[in-house]
Formats: sequence, structure tokens, C-alpha cells
Amino acid sequence: MSATTSARRVILETRSISKHFSKVLANRDIDIVLHEGEIVSLLGENGAGKSTLMNVLYGLYRPTGGSILIDGEPVAFASPRDAIARGLGMVHQHFMLVETLSVTENIILGQEPGRGPAIDYATARRQVVELSTTYGLDVDPDERVMNLSVGLQQRVEILKALYRKARILILDEPTAVLTPQEVEDLFAVIGTLRDRGVSIIMITHKLEEARSISDRVYVLRSGQVVGERATADLTKEDMANLMVGRDVVLRVQRSGHRAQPDAVFHVRDLRVSDDRGRAAVNGLRLAVRPGEVVGIAGVDGNGQSELADAIMGLRPVTGGAIVLGGLDLVSCSTKERIGRRMSYVPADRQRFGLVLPFSIAENIALGRHDRAPNIRNGVLDYPAMRSRARELIARFDIRAPGPSAPAGHLSGGNQQKVILAREFSRDPEFLLVSQPTRGLDVGAIEYVHSEILRMRDRDVAILLISLELEEIFTLADRILVLYEGAIVTELDPAQTNEREVGLYMTGGKENTA
Amino acid sequence: MKRQRSALAIALRVVVIALASIGTVLYTGGYFPGGLVLLAAGPAYLGCVYVSAGADGVRKRLVVFARDLGTPLVAITIALLIGAIVLVATGFNPLVAYGALFHGALVRNWHISVLNASPVIFTALSVAFAFKAGLFNIGAEGQYYVGAMAAAWIGLYLPFPAIVSIPIVIAFAAIMGAAWNLIPALLKVRTGAHEVITTMMLAHTARFLSNLFIRANGGDPANSPHPYRTTEINVNTELPRFQQFMPEANFRAHTGILLAIVVALLVHYILTKTRVGFAIRAVGHNKDAARAQGISVAKITAVALLGAGALSALAGVNQVNGLEHRLLQDLQANFGWNGISVALLAGGNPIAIIFTGFLWGALDAGGQFMQRTTQITGSIVEMIKGLILFLIVARRHLFVIVSAWWSTRRRGARAIERPAMEYPRER
Repeated sequence: MSATTSARRVILETRSISKHFSKVLANRDIDIVLHEGEIVSLLGENGAGKSTLMNVLYGLYRPTGGSILIDGEPVAFASPRDAIARGLGMVHQHFMLVETLSVTENIILGQEPGRGPAIDYATARRQVVELSTTYGLDVDPDERVMNLSVGLQQRVEILKALYRKARILILDEPTAVLTPQEVEDLFAVIGTLRDRGVSIIMITHKLEEARSISDRVYVLRSGQVVGERATADLTKEDMANLMVGRDVVLRVQRSGHRAQPDAVFHVRDLRVSDDRGRAAVNGLRLAVRPGEVVGIAGVDGNGQSELADAIMGLRPVTGGAIVLGGLDLVSCSTKERIGRRMSYVPADRQRFGLVLPFSIAENIALGRHDRAPNIRNGVLDYPAMRSRARELIARFDIRAPGPSAPAGHLSGGNQQKVILAREFSRDPEFLLVSQPTRGLDVGAIEYVHSEILRMRDRDVAILLISLELEEIFTLADRILVLYEGAIVTELDPAQTNEREVGLYMTGGKENTA
Repeated sequence: MKRQRSALAIALRVVVIALASIGTVLYTGGYFPGGLVLLAAGPAYLGCVYVSAGADGVRKRLVVFARDLGTPLVAITIALLIGAIVLVATGFNPLVAYGALFHGALVRNWHISVLNASPVIFTALSVAFAFKAGLFNIGAEGQYYVGAMAAAWIGLYLPFPAIVSIPIVIAFAAIMGAAWNLIPALLKVRTGAHEVITTMMLAHTARFLSNLFIRANGGDPANSPHPYRTTEINVNTELPRFQQFMPEANFRAHTGILLAIVVALLVHYILTKTRVGFAIRAVGHNKDAARAQGISVAKITAVALLGAGALSALAGVNQVNGLEHRLLQDLQANFGWNGISVALLAGGNPIAIIFTGFLWGALDAGGQFMQRTTQITGSIVEMIKGLILFLIVARRHLFVIVSAWWSTRRRGARAIERPAMEYPRER
């Protein structure tokens, strides 16, 4: 493939693009080349400069230095409008759609056909249908966007770009929000686009995806291109090492530790309603033994967050029992549950895990701020809080200027480490971990996984909720599949695969267990 | 050596506290040499820092001071300059106007500045206290009236000597102010009713309730001096006047201002040093994370609103037991509403509120003096107050706009740029 692409016409090229933000260099001397009908992945950790580079290409930022060439001609974009005019299209990670409008209306928005103030809806609809058949992007042109699944909404975004005659499509983390099946569909669409001559740049930090779909890969680290390879020549390990700049263990080694025979944590016939009063958790049962990780796999929105809330006492239950060490916790407050050695790593770490303007020391004390050693003589003992934080900063390898640094100034990985430091250092008996590596980069994922497994080896009962099947397979001793608020099956990770779990997750396979 | 050092640090600290308190009492009482004593506390404090943290600590402190003082000083200067332009445009001499303003505010009618400052410090503390928990206690005015009514009522009956009566008055008014805010607190916790609406409605309720209160406690609509008023409270429930121990002081100046400063320090202490203060700040910054760590958001919401009610009520004590010795119709209204501006101006910092309270009080006193002596309308002072508030509250946005405009001129860049979301913020 790489041999043929290099012979093709170059459609987009950057020559030593640099971008400064007041003090820091976000991009330095970046040279990338995109050929006609080629799929290129831009791989890098969080903060490597991928999004900055794409924003420069799309006209959102002006480069501090260097030039962009399209079809061999230098161009300067003052705004995305200029970039669109030159045939660039971008699909953002967070979709920019008007939910209450129809698919057709969203696609034509800002480029409506017709004369004067009247919009020619018949023409618009016909154009949209034509586009979607040409590129194999099946979607009902009359449906309102709010009624579409995430995967279909993404198609609308792609159609929007194609409607504006995009020849170069930039996809920013396109798979972050998709289910495994939707990812397959997306990749099929991307393949069709390439066959029709559209060139694609995909930003990602998922190695497997970069490998399976793209022709070539650029690896970014600290704002620079550190490697450019044809995908065929690369292994996942190579990519990970290039991204992080050191050898990374992709799948953390699990010890042969065996769980205790008797479960310590039980959930029995649990029923929980969501914010709108609909049943979100529906007679769910599970049990966790000390020293095992039970992984709950499921598509987002099948009751994961309600289950986690209910276990921690953040949401009332409508029925059932939550038992730790023989005691029903349903009537206990969150504070009492924490007092019974339950620890919680929430999925949304910035919203539920940290008080961002608080210092690291304060965040670590949070929840125990009302007792020794954080309280001395009835008042807060800041020196003690700071020295405790200093100790944990060293132990959990948190990269921070010091214990007084606000949590909001840390990177995502380090924020998560602060939460792990707080929760794991409290010697829990039961640990609820929800999406612990969401948005983290490869190096941080490796760290978080190994810390979770270390807790397992210390006989902590661990319940893991994750939307990432790879994570479930890395960590779990048993896999429970959650579908529509109930566990539909239990699987042994050694005897199943992602495809089978994915089928259960989407309700595509009835319970056979 | 080390022991000598810590002994020296303690001694210096005592000196600082002594200088600061003596200076404050003298200065707020209208003894201007007290200002020099107060200023002397500054170097003594730096000496204290030097002994415990060395020259580096002193430097850091000075940088912090300069930064904290820089923004308001720049804002005040710009506001005064704009005011001067308006004055010139309307045919007045700004030098004359500002001369009268400053002379009135800081020299001639300094005691009025002080009298204006103390109630507004209390109500600003009330707003700030609730704000730390993420609540907007917009109805401080109502709790102020409730406190005034409570203080006036109990002041009519308490027979004990002053040393016993005054603490009882303060405690009773504070409890009634807190009780008044129990209504919005319960509504907020039980039904989620927004405190902006509930406290504001209750503010109007309290204000008009006070007319009935006056009628029931000596106010006679048939033959009443203006304004309509209650019977005078017992002498033993009055706050001491400065004149009682400083004969040169203005006869109206009372020690409510000292109470206000002490309460501001106390609020600062509660917020930064106690577990409930920690919980209040945690809830204010992120109630979801606080809840997930076992803090009862409902309890903290109630504590913050009740505390805010108690603080505003003290403004009522200040006016009734300190200044007027009776409850007047419409008091000197609007101290509650002004508290919101003073708290905003101070960024919710209780210590800063002492200063912004004085600034507001002094601008009012100076404005009145200016209007009386130069015939220049006092509206100019209201305009300057508004500008200061605007410049400080909107400073970040203004800074972005101004720096973007500046860089456009210099480099021809067009867009205001921010780093991409994934940009690393460490290091």
C-alpha cells in the first residue's frame, strides 16, 4: 500500500508548522503529507499536539510558523470558512448538530440551496439522498437528529462535510463514543470514502484502530513528529513505544492471585430509577469476592451510572439490597458507606472525583477532612494534610509542582492518580471503579491498570465498570454483561472474545448461560 | 538559636496584633494618628515574616500584596478618570469635585464613612459566606431588617447590665436572622426552589413587616416624627460609642465597626480553618464531588444560608443598637443590596470585604459632602461605584479583549486563541 500511495498525487502538505501558545510550544516543525485517497492516522498521547495541529489545518488557529500546501499551492486560512472552501472537512469529537432539526436541515445548514430567502427543501433532500447513496452512508434524511444513535449522528457530521465538497476529511477521535459494532460500520464507511477519492486524517490514541484502518501513521510526541511509518510495517508495541518514548507494557501482567472463596459484596435484585423516573437498573444481581476483579461490560446508557450511584448511596434505590460484609447498606448515607471501607473511583473524575480549584492536599483530605490526622485541636491541620499529600505524590508518581497545586492544573492522568491516591490509600475492603482510564493516554492507562491489579492482589473486592472491552479483558477475572439494567450473562475472559461480549452487550444474543 | 527565633517571632506577632488593633480603634474612632500606628503594623508584620520565612518569604508576601492590591487600584484609577471625563464634559471641574469627594470621605466626614461601612461589611460577609457554598443570598436586605427588628424588640426589654445584655442582643438577632433564612434553606433542600427567588421575596416581606413592627412597638401613625419609629431601646443594650473612651470622637461614631472587623476575621477563620468551612468550600466548588465523598450537600446548604442570615442580622444590630437606638422606618435602607456589590468587589474574600466596605462607605460619605459643598450631583459617585464594580468583575474578559486588540495592532493576528483542550497544563 505504502509503495502505491507514495506514487499518488500529494493533496495536503504541511511544511515545518509550529504553533506557540504564549509560553509553550504546542507544535514544532511538523511536516506531514497526505496523498489523494489515503487514510493517515495521527497518533499521540493527550497533550502531544494532535488537536492543535488539526485546528491549525482547519483554520481555527493560525500557525506561528511554517506553511500549509493544498494541491501544491500554499494557503493561509483565516477561519474554518476558508478551509472549507479549499475542500477541508472536520468531524469533531463532540458533534456540532442541532438536535431538534432534521438530518437534511442539519446537513444544509449555512449552505441552503434555493433562491433568495426561500429554501428549496426538495432539492436539498434529493442532494442529501444522493450523497448518502454515493458514499454508503445510510441515514433517514427526514429523521430528527435527536432520535438518532450516536453512530448515525456521526454519519450526519460526515455528510455535512461531504455536502460542502470536502476532499480531505479530518476525524477527531471518531471512535471515542461508539460501540464496537458502530466502530466496524464507521470503518466500512471510511473505506468507501477512500475508494471514492476522499483523503482522510484520523486523530486517535487507540493503537488497534490506527493499525486496522490507516495506510500510514504519524506519531506525535511533545508537539513533534517522532515517527512516520506505513501501517503494514508497524506493530502495536512499536506504536506505543513511539508515542510514550519508552517501552510500554500494553497488557499489564496479572499475577496468579486467587480470590477468597466467599463473596463479601452482594447486590440483590437491585432496582434504580434514572433522573426521569424510568427503571434504569432492573433486578440486578451480582457478587464480588475479595481478591477478584468483576468487570461489568455494557454499552453506555444501560444503567452503569445509576448502578454506581446506587452502590455509593448517591441515588435512592427503589428496591433490592446492597450488602457489604453481611450488612445491608441501602439505608446508609454515602458517608457511612465510606466509613465501612468502600472506595469509589468515579467515571467522571472532574465532576464526581475532584474539587478542581482545591489543592492536591485538600482533594486527598476530602471526605476525611473531619477527623485526624487532618484535624488537630478541632481545626484543619494544613501542614499535616500537605505532608500526607507529599507522601502520596511520591508513592503514586503524581507529576505536580507540589501538594498545594490546584487539581485543576494537572493533566487528566495526574488527576486520576490523585483520585487513586485518595481512594487506594484508605485501605478499602470494596472498591468500585468506573471507567478508570477514560481519556487517559497509554502510559497512564498502564499505570492505572497495574494499581488496580495490585489492589486485587491485596484481597480487595473490586467491581469494575467499563465501556472499553479491552480494559475489561485486561483486568477482569469474571465478566458480567449489563444490558438494559440487568446482568444478561457471565463470561470467563479466558473462554470468550470481544466479539461475543459485544453481541451480548447489544442484546444480540439471548442468555445461554 | 532556634528557640530564640521562635520567641522573637511570637513577640513580633504580639506587637503586630497590638499595633493593628490599637491603630484600628483609634483610626475608626476618628483619631488620625491611629492611621500611623496602623501603618506601623505593616513593617512589623514583614519583620515577623522575615524571622519565620526569611527574605524570600518577605519577597513572596510583597508580590502577593502587590498583586492583590494592583487590580482594585487600577480599577479605581480608571473609574475616576472616566468620571473626570464625564465631569469635564458636563462642565464641572474634576479637581474641585474630587477634592471635595476625598476631603469629605477621608477627613471631614470620616465618621460617616465609618458609619456607612459597618452595616455593609456585615451584609457583604453574609453574601460572601453563602457564595462560598455556591449560593446567592440576594436577600441580605431582608435578613438585615429581621435582625434589626429582633434587636429593637429585645432591646426594649433587657434589664441586665451592658456586658450581659449586648451579647444577648447579638445572639438573639443572629438567631432570628438565621431562623428567617430557614425558610429558603428548607425550600432549597426539599424542593430545589432557587434561593435567589426565595430570599429576594422574603426581603420585601421583611421590609414591610418592619412597618407593622414599628406600629406595635411605639410607632404612632397619628402623631409621629418623621421617619416613623419605635420607642428608644434601653441604654444598657446600646453598643458603646467611641466618645465614651475617646472624647474627641464624633458623638455618633460607635463600636459596631470593630464588631464588623472582628466578625470578618472570624468568618475568614471559619472558612479556612474549620471542617465546616472546608465542607462549605468543597460544596461551593463542586457539590457532586463533595457528595461523592460523603459530605451532606443539604446540610451544608442549610448551614451556609443560616449563617448568612445571622451575619446580615448583625447589620441590623449595628444600626439599631449602635447608631439610632430605635428602629426607623426603612432604616437606612439598601445596606443589604449594597452588600452584594461589596462582596462581589472583594471577590468573596472576608478580609477584603473590610476594605471594600470602607471604600463603599467612604464613596457615599464623600459623595454627599461633594454634593452639598460644590453642587455637583452625587450621581457621579454612583457612576464611579458602578464602573469600579464593572471593571473588577469583568476584568478577565476585559483583559482578553484588550490584549487581543493590542496583538491585532501589533501582529495583525485576527483570532483570540486558546490552546486546544488536550493541551497539558502541568510543568
